Amino acid sequence: MRLYEYEAKRIFARRGLPVPPGVVIDRNSYQNLDKVIYPVVIKAQAFAGGRGKSGLIQFASDHTEALEKISNLLGQEHAGYTIDRVLVEQKITIKQELYLAVIIDRLEHRYLIMTSRQGGVEIEEVAQTSPQALLKYHLNPGSVIAPFMARKVASGLRLNGPLLNAGTELVLGLYRLFLGYDCKVAEINPLVVSDDDRLFALDAKVDLDEDAMYRHPDLKELGITARHEVGELTERERIAKRAGIPYVDLDGDIGVFPGGAGFGIAAIDLIQHYGGRPANFMDSGGAPTQEKLRTMLGLLLDNPRVKAIFGARFGGISRCDDWARAVVQYVVENRPTKPMIMRMAGNMEEQGRKIIEQAKSVHAEFFKKIKVYAYDMPIEEVIKETIRAAQEEKQ
Amino acid sequence: MAIIIDNNIETIVQGVTGTNAALHTKFMLEYGTKIVGGVTPGKVGQEVEGIPVYDTVMDCLAEHPNATVSSVWVPPRFAKDAILEAIDAGIKTIIVITERIPVHDMLYARCVAQEKGIMIIGGNTPGVISPGKALIGMLPKIAFQPGRIGTVARSGAVTYYVANSLNLAGLGESTSVGLGGDPILGTNFEDVLRLFEHDDETDAVVMAGEIGGVYEELAAPYIKEMSKPVIAYITGKAAPQGKRLGHAGAIIEGKMGTAASKIIALEKYGALIAQTLSEIPGLVKKTLGRDVS
Repeated sequence: MRLYEYEAKRIFARRGLPVPPGVVIDRNSYQNLDKVIYPVVIKAQAFAGGRGKSGLIQFASDHTEALEKISNLLGQEHAGYTIDRVLVEQKITIKQELYLAVIIDRLEHRYLIMTSRQGGVEIEEVAQTSPQALLKYHLNPGSVIAPFMARKVASGLRLNGPLLNAGTELVLGLYRLFLGYDCKVAEINPLVVSDDDRLFALDAKVDLDEDAMYRHPDLKELGITARHEVGELTERERIAKRAGIPYVDLDGDIGVFPGGAGFGIAAIDLIQHYGGRPANFMDSGGAPTQEKLRTMLGLLLDNPRVKAIFGARFGGISRCDDWARAVVQYVVENRPTKPMIMRMAGNMEEQGRKIIEQAKSVHAEFFKKIKVYAYDMPIEEVIKETIRAAQEEKQ
Repeated sequence: MAIIIDNNIETIVQGVTGTNAALHTKFMLEYGTKIVGGVTPGKVGQEVEGIPVYDTVMDCLAEHPNATVSSVWVPPRFAKDAILEAIDAGIKTIIVITERIPVHDMLYARCVAQEKGIMIIGGNTPGVISPGKALIGMLPKIAFQPGRIGTVARSGAVTYYVANSLNLAGLGESTSVGLGGDPILGTNFEDVLRLFEHDDETDAVVMAGEIGGVYEELAAPYIKEMSKPVIAYITGKAAPQGKRLGHAGAIIEGKMGTAASKIIALEKYGALIAQTLSEIPGLVKKTLGRDVS
């Protein structure tokens, strides 16, 4: 879960990492501006890279100028997101821009400290154009960092003499923060040396492991809670998020009601391959409850764009009987009129089939457009039939 | 013998008293898997499907010294500890069903396992099956038939559909391995390809990957060294730009991680690419026919 700069800096500050003095301002907290020392830098809180170039970072030398620029930024649309907050910080006079990060190296399955004397630019660019400018230090997962190691990293950045101690403390602090908060990324770019020879984390990027949030209750005190990775959610994505369902709206007309994420991704490919257009990506997760399954169906059937539903349950840890019960209950309660072409196979299939057959015999009229194929029907035939059904619905 | 598991292996279930673990213990036993014991701390003396429950893996192995494989079904926050406990007690292969294990926990467990030469499969794996011999995990038996094709996939349902499409075409599996859907995996494609290459019950391998991560790309060069044909099916071609359906690559992964990059890498080293599930059996038959003639 990627954090906004101001959130990351709150964690930095708590851990004693040097950040410029600053305040967060939204539409209701202009009064915070009284606390700043001019000149200031005003930074729109958005996930966009290259904020400077797109006008999302501005400068002001007095209160009037700051007010004007802040009110201009707030509410602005940028790359589909609305800017709700700005971070206003005392302007630091920069002598030098550096790069420091701790990340997970997924090739090596180890931790990786990366530094570069070329800070302030996209590090991907440095990696491409001058890889020798990138220094790398690997550590084993879970291991503590020895002060000498941190000193080595600081020294590699040529933070020598009077800056060495501050640099070492910063490396130690960032590494401990990375480990202590279950970060996937903890990055400072740029890390600056000011004209009075002090170090500041001018920007802060932190990516937390959502699956480990439970063991960091203090994040809540800092106002940081689990949320969708980035960006503005559609109404349906919001509903899904609340129900704990990974869901992404796409622009097609076939609702995809798959099992897990992996087949969800495959289903989108296959629908497109056979000339259809998927309306969504969705993942039930392992062993979903019936309530969750019904919410999933509702998301699709309530979507006016959706003309037909493609459903698949290959019961592994997710059982066919639970799936069948959820489908039946949803259908009986909501009487959907859209065709639902589905296939059910795997664990507890026999029980699942009984549930569906029984419901059909009682409520035949609700199941007219609903088909539930079995093991011997290739899944791609089910997809093709759904595409045909969606086309017929449009006519 | 088949790779990873066979009809001779003895296995234990960690977290056996949980609802899902208990249900799948039943299914595994019905399939013929030799489950000799279960472990849930504090529940010694209970039984699940007639299998004795122990407090610790060590207690369990004291009674069943031939058990070499464990499957882990505990909640995510206990997964690291369960894996380390299994390693400490002397288990050689650990199949981790638990999903959404914290990344740092899995990295640590993986590191310890590697130092000691222990195989971890998963997290978030559907399991491993050698059809007709043994099943560990929650794979549905109906999806698999005995045969001579090895399969390896990231996701559970894709594992089932790949085997299903082979079976509908009259082919079967020597072993099917689910690598798991979590971002950090104990075992990757290359590890399993190596096992299949040296397995005399396997003639060809189907690997099914998906967007995100780099395990497919990393495995590609090894395909060229293999004597057996590899058919690759990669999903995520139609995944929308800028929306994450998986875990996108970071900087050290460069441009790797997209469906296109994976397909290009695999093709370059000689894998045959299946565009759809239904193309898989045809490609398998084609390569085997050619090899025979």
